[in-house]
Amino acid sequence: MRPGAFVRVLFPMREVPVRPGLLHIGYVLGTAGDYAVVAYTTSQSWPADTPLPAGARVFDAAEAARLNQSRAFVLRVDILARLPLTRAWFPEIEQPGGGIVAIASAALRTEITRLATNLARRRRELVDLRGPGV
Amino acid sequence: MSHARKQPARPKHAKSSQRGPAGKSRGKVAITLRLDADRAIRLQAIAKGENRSLTNYVETVLLRDLSRHEEADRVITMYVAPGLPDKIRPEDVVRAAQESDAEYAERQALMMELWSIPHNA
Repeated sequence: MRPGAFVRVLFPMREVPVRPGLLHIGYVLGTAGDYAVVAYTTSQSWPADTPLPAGARVFDAAEAARLNQSRAFVLRVDILARLPLTRAWFPEIEQPGGGIVAIASAALRTEITRLATNLARRRRELVDLRGPGV
Repeated sequence: MSHARKQPARPKHAKSSQRGPAGKSRGKVAITLRLDADRAIRLQAIAKGENRSLTNYVETVLLRDLSRHEEADRVITMYVAPGLPDKIRPEDVVRAAQESDAEYAERQALMMELWSIPHNA
């Protein structure tokens, strides 16, 4: 699984957080050995009167089409999952293509990494302020 | 004063704040808090300055701290599948195609940090 891939994944749900959830397209922030850190995406439109979370990156229809996706979507680097690279979580991993929908360009990959890095820094500052129990 | 309250006690309005299964409130529980006498006196003075009882002041401070913890948890929600290792090494992070040394180092650092976040979903 390549870093920067948009891939079909059974992203866990809040109701059953430790089991494979519904099929989504996730973004692979990185892999280490047989494991990956995957960010959530959703094609549900964002309510106009609700501010976007700091970890959200909106892809309009044109950007989505360039990433082989039929609808505009929101990438959430504030909603992540650490998952094993197995068929249980990535149902198409053993098929040709591995369930990969698209690979981000180097520029987009860098942009998303920076977005996630800034968010992780903000979290770290809060943890430093409040102690390791957070 | 060695502690705020010697015995765990029912809240003053325990009857009205604890509802049955049909109600939504789970009521309040009493806790015992032991403090150095000097600190208790100082806290009492601060509470008085804010027109609060010491109990109400302590509760307010704790709730404020709890909301900050929740704020930090909300920054990144992390789901972790069962059986994953607690740690990874930087060299385990797979390099992406056409990734410069600087970009790879940045992503390695990100991966190490994300791996340290416990399951909090």
